[in-house]
Amino acid sequence: MTTAKVSPSKQRRARKAFRANGAYHAAGIAICLFFLAPFVITFLASFRHGTEARLPPLPPWPTNGLSIDSYLSLDTFGAGIWQHTINSLLVSLATVVLTVAVSLLAGYGFSRYRFPLKNVLFVLIIATLMIPFQSILTPLFIILAKLGLNNSLLGLTLVYVTLQLPFSVFMMRNAFDAVPKEIEEAARIDGARDLRLLVRVLLPLVLPGIATVAIFAFLNAWNEFLAALILLSSNEKYTLPVLMMAVRAGRLGAVNWGAVQAGVAVMTVPCLIVFLLLQRYYMRGLMAGAVK
Amino acid sequence: MNKNMTDTGVVLTDIRKSFGNLEVIHSIDLKIAEGSFVVFVGPSGCGKSTLLRMIAGLEEVTDGEIEIKGRDVTDLDPSDRGIAMVFQSYALYPHMSVRDNLAFGLKMAHTPTAEIDARVAAASSILKIDHLLDRRPGQLSGGQRQRVAIGRAIVRKPDVFLFDEPLSNLDAELRVSMRIEIARLHRELGNTMIYVTHDQTEAMTLADMIVVLRDGRVEQTGSPRDVYEDPANAFVAGFIGSPRMNLLNAEWAGDGYVLTGGQRIASALSASLLKPGERATFGIRPEHLSVSMTATAESLRAKVDFYEYLGGTQFLYCQLDDGQAVVAEHRSPIAIKDNEVVQLTCDPGNRRFFDSSGLRLR
Repeated sequence: MTTAKVSPSKQRRARKAFRANGAYHAAGIAICLFFLAPFVITFLASFRHGTEARLPPLPPWPTNGLSIDSYLSLDTFGAGIWQHTINSLLVSLATVVLTVAVSLLAGYGFSRYRFPLKNVLFVLIIATLMIPFQSILTPLFIILAKLGLNNSLLGLTLVYVTLQLPFSVFMMRNAFDAVPKEIEEAARIDGARDLRLLVRVLLPLVLPGIATVAIFAFLNAWNEFLAALILLSSNEKYTLPVLMMAVRAGRLGAVNWGAVQAGVAVMTVPCLIVFLLLQRYYMRGLMAGAVK
Repeated sequence: MNKNMTDTGVVLTDIRKSFGNLEVIHSIDLKIAEGSFVVFVGPSGCGKSTLLRMIAGLEEVTDGEIEIKGRDVTDLDPSDRGIAMVFQSYALYPHMSVRDNLAFGLKMAHTPTAEIDARVAAASSILKIDHLLDRRPGQLSGGQRQRVAIGRAIVRKPDVFLFDEPLSNLDAELRVSMRIEIARLHRELGNTMIYVTHDQTEAMTLADMIVVLRDGRVEQTGSPRDVYEDPANAFVAGFIGSPRMNLLNAEWAGDGYVLTGGQRIASALSASLLKPGERATFGIRPEHLSVSMTATAESLRAKVDFYEYLGGTQFLYCQLDDGQAVVAEHRSPIAIKDNEVVQLTCDPGNRRFFDSSGLRLR
């Protein structure tokens, strides 16, 4: 019935919609390619043979068959790639856990409690964002040395958490501010108090905020170079960015580009995984239906 | 239902609330009978919501005592007071299904699962939300969300239900049907209910007892009929009723008459209450003014500025000879047009008089 007769105006509209959709998707695909190209080129290049890796990257894919030479040679730097990856993972994950725990509680406090000098304290915390952390590296180094935490991954984690907290507290306060007070009051009437209130009722509602804080904490800790270089002194404690510096510096003037490509690939994968895991919380509007 | 030994559901004794140095609730004493439906009504900022939140335990009491069913609950946690509250904004937990929303309070109180299931089933069948139990609040309409919010209160089996303007987020039609539903619920459950609203239709239709509040003080308590027909002061007279009572500036003539709108109006007041020439207020409800074209001894001459036609009735917005505005209800089939001059008369029994400070003169 519907296929028997299609009016000309309907056809015209269908053609117009097809053209508009086509342009829309073509533009989208072009932008995607533009952003994905560097990753693809790096991944493909990391699987070239040793000699081929030094040549200009055209065509970007391995021409002499796949090989994991680059990864094997990457492993010869420092204390082995596994050791450094584990170092980086330990520092980054500990940074995420501590940052989320502290900023969750601090954000809740700043959002919900009334106490003297609340806004002054909050502004003070935010104001520390204006201090370039490079400028306080020397005092940080001295403090860590006094605490016996220099050249330790724990010390580095604490520095990362400190640097990450102002932004995270700010994020979490906003996240809690967006949760209507009535939900909390309803939960109090229902008998949820303190920690149970926070975990059972509020935590799911501020999950997008937590995801954001976690992603930022992970990425910043994972990619941080300067503090790691200065605060860590023994070879087997280095995190991946420091190792990459050593790889890129090369040996006797010759840079092993294959190893560099492999290192970049190793560093990128965890970031992608973290983002893909958390992005659905990052995007989702969880508050729908709570009030109004 | 379970009638307790005491028949007082909620007792407020000398309740006060201050925010810093600003006192917003000034010494409120109130006895609410067990099983009654009490409505707090007043203009915005009068403290009605604050008072309700103090009974709920969400707002601390600065001074005074709150008793629920003979138990002093002033310093108890909200969950230990035997109350349940329905919020204006529903305040459902958006990450839980309707079933979990209803069961949350019971889970917090470590109620056995079988008991929780039974109570959730009972509440959802009362409110006809059985088929929605597995949905999230985001998938419900406004009326359904409000039912879930009420259901969450019912499963707690509270001594007192507290409603904080529960219908103001709903559209007009839904508001009427939910209002009837709440009235039905009160009859079925028989609990004490305290209801805050600024909508006087809700107040008049639902209440056993209306508490009119202004600026943190109780202006009058009484049945809807008492408050409407026998207002204690000019504020209550003007606040209850829609359109509001006409409050005309008047002057005591000293001989049993007041002067207003260029006319002498007889009053049953004893002459000793006021001195001749003293200011007073003459109050008359629009429906008690009868409209005619012929002048009589006590009729007020008024020019119709504009009118509202509502089908069965017509509201005339008029101006008296001395410029005072007056509203009259006109029920006759004869239409009255703008700029017509009419004569307004009223029965002596419907006249209300207030002194210059607004207190009722009887």
